[in-house]
Amino acid sequence: MTEGHQESGGGDSFDLSQFYQIFFEEAGENLDLMEQMLLNLNLETADDEELNGIFRCAHSVKGGAATFGFADVAELTHQMESLLDRLRRHELQPNPMMVDVLLESADASRVLLARHQTGDTSAPPSNADLVRRISELAAGGTPAPAAVPAPAPVVAAPAPAPVAAPAPVAAAPGARQLEIRMGPLERPDQVDGIKDLFRDIVGLGSVTEVASDRADTRVFHASTSSSNDDLLDLFAFHVSREQVNIREMSAAATSWTDRDDPPPGAPVAPAPGFGFFEGAPGVPTGAASSAAPVEVTEVRPAAKASVAKPAASPVAAQPEAATIRVAISKVDQLINLVGELVITQAMLAQNSQALDPAANQQLMAGLADLDRNTRDLQESVMSIRMIPMSIVFSRFPRMLRDLASKLGKKVEFVTQGEATELDKGLVEKITDPLTHLVRNSCDHGIEMPADRVAAGKPETGTITLSAAHQGGSIVIEVRDDGRGLSREKILNKARERGLDVSDQMSDGDVWQLIFAPGFSTAEVVTDVSGRGVGMDVVKKNIAALNGTVEIDSSEGYGMRVSVRLPLTLAIMDGMSVGVGDEVYILPLSSVVESFQVKDDAVNTVAQGSRLVKVRDEYMPVIELEKVFQVPRYDGGKSGDIMVVVEAEGSRVALLVDELLGQQQVVVKNLETNYRKVPNVSGATILGDGKVALILDTSTLVRRSRH
Amino acid sequence: MSETDESGTLAAGPREYLTFRLDQEEYGIDILKVQEIRGYEKPTRIANAPEFIKGVVNLRGTIVPIIDMRLKFNCAKAEYNSFTVVIILNLRNRIVGIVVDSVSDVMELAPENLKAAPDIDSSIESSAVVGLGSVGDRMLILLDIEKLMTSVDMGLVSVEA
Repeated sequence: MTEGHQESGGGDSFDLSQFYQIFFEEAGENLDLMEQMLLNLNLETADDEELNGIFRCAHSVKGGAATFGFADVAELTHQMESLLDRLRRHELQPNPMMVDVLLESADASRVLLARHQTGDTSAPPSNADLVRRISELAAGGTPAPAAVPAPAPVVAAPAPAPVAAPAPVAAAPGARQLEIRMGPLERPDQVDGIKDLFRDIVGLGSVTEVASDRADTRVFHASTSSSNDDLLDLFAFHVSREQVNIREMSAAATSWTDRDDPPPGAPVAPAPGFGFFEGAPGVPTGAASSAAPVEVTEVRPAAKASVAKPAASPVAAQPEAATIRVAISKVDQLINLVGELVITQAMLAQNSQALDPAANQQLMAGLADLDRNTRDLQESVMSIRMIPMSIVFSRFPRMLRDLASKLGKKVEFVTQGEATELDKGLVEKITDPLTHLVRNSCDHGIEMPADRVAAGKPETGTITLSAAHQGGSIVIEVRDDGRGLSREKILNKARERGLDVSDQMSDGDVWQLIFAPGFSTAEVVTDVSGRGVGMDVVKKNIAALNGTVEIDSSEGYGMRVSVRLPLTLAIMDGMSVGVGDEVYILPLSSVVESFQVKDDAVNTVAQGSRLVKVRDEYMPVIELEKVFQVPRYDGGKSGDIMVVVEAEGSRVALLVDELLGQQQVVVKNLETNYRKVPNVSGATILGDGKVALILDTSTLVRRSRH
Repeated sequence: MSETDESGTLAAGPREYLTFRLDQEEYGIDILKVQEIRGYEKPTRIANAPEFIKGVVNLRGTIVPIIDMRLKFNCAKAEYNSFTVVIILNLRNRIVGIVVDSVSDVMELAPENLKAAPDIDSSIESSAVVGLGSVGDRMLILLDIEKLMTSVDMGLVSVEA
């Protein structure tokens, strides 16, 4: 490991920076994981698996930080580890204070890591207080944990040459008492991790450090049933094999520490001296033992391995990471290219329609393959950008926990539909508005525990965050069972602010008032919320994503905010329909069915709006011809094909002339060079190079309601 | 191009203008705003848009609105034939095509050949006419095309809420 440092420091800076990056990413992940596990930890029934998991996270971060020389991070995480270790061994009972201090330490570690990452050289924030609190908690009435290693006593003595231990040829399966010498070491503390290993690995045994005769050598007494080879493998993360010497302690064995000189000639020196030759007793041990100390300088492969895998505790051996990190710009480029490919494929498909299928059979087959492959390729590429909502949701438990304890409220957080996938771009943009909504729910929605009890509700409030796909959109809901919105208060506030309101307004319209800039009904402005900046920003941000926000509330029972976002993907499945000479695209995701309508199935209601009966259900008819004022040159009669589309939970039937087919379309923004067009969500380019408009089914459906 | 003056007032040095014809009138626009010139192809109609907005076309993957200047300026006739030309303009990164009867040429006008526009009563917002240029016996109506295209009554840009 020491060599690893030198090597990294010496000219191989490219590799080093690469490793740094990996370390920062891994450490970030570990801290996130730890935080998540801490929050999920049930203090009364915490099981070993959970505690071990948390411990491993802290341990990995510590190991990595020590490897790369980030002493401050290593120190802090070491303290966390000490506390966690005692919890894990049930020497202490976990309590909320510990969780708090561990969460804070995780945050502090992040700050420190960020400083290292950005190369910030200003004075680091002091974590002395945290460290003190951790150690106080870790002390917790019982003696200080043995985990804090006493520095190896400095004794000047010539280096004892390693000597092969007596052969445990008939190795008993029971525990062996071993003496393990490590040295000469450039930095004696580099083997601190050995003790951690024994702690980490269940069934490995126990280890205690004994005084060493040399400053650069450390000696441990271990009780273990593992083979020397296994031990050496484990130690390889901290120290190279050549520096380790294991021998079995027996009543007869004299301790090296008593001697100045190595036992000359090493009376019995068969196989397992270095763990290399176990089971090969014929190997002359003299050569091996004399070679070992010289080889200390040739440990680069081992050292390198430990740099690349910073202190990955062997027991924590996670399943081989099956992911790679790719710059988002590369993915976007890929998506753009696939978009072009889809257009080209559509063009080929269109041009080939005029060909005689019999004469061009092979070409047709090839084109069909191309169609399928393009579709598969596009699907796969698009899925790269899709990430589960759990990424967004995972930040809320922590936030709510802090917030609730600050406000003195009791809040339970429930998430649903974490697996719902969303485009990465959207995920980033939706996080802030959602944070706002969740904060609002906690601050304004959920009442103080006493008030809740008085109102006959459970003391602990519930905030539910859910995500689900609905047709072509994703619906994210923030629900709480708090006090809900007060119609009266909002109306009064609105009048105060001079807004034009009346008592006859529908609930829905009243709730929309809270989206007005600067509107807040909070009696007290806290540092959490209530300043009136928020809901208008939420609405603006979501509108920018072509989404909508709806509020549903009942005073005393809670409130629900639904955010509906389109799955704005660059490519979508569309159904092209013909109206007059024009072609329009319907998002296939919203198309339910299509049918030829019989005259008697259409009824007219009072003001002339028409309804069609589809299997015992009446739905409004929207004539695209009228909506889009399609000119009829040939004086032809309007079509008789209805396409049922569903949006926002309602269905309408669109009257069109003909169905032209289904195809994938690349969504282009009309607003780049033009403006928003009513009832149109975008445009696309057809196979023949013409532009076709994509219908916005939600506005069409909404239009039918009024 | 330091003389390119965003405000559209007459600049000091000589500037180049692309001139085009609408019916009997000849207009000039700053050549730096012109991206390219192409033939007319039938655009995709946009419902409920003003009559002079012919629709949108596909310009190498970009959706570009097309405005017929002849309809905007109330010309007597607006025919579409093989000589009908579309000037693609690039105005502050927005791309717009305008339909004209024909493109004449590119000419350089010195400041002394420019006259301030008299107050005229026309279908054009008078502030969009920056001046009149005289070249021999021809009269050029110089337009601030950017101001014209971004004006509210053009309906090209969404009105900010």
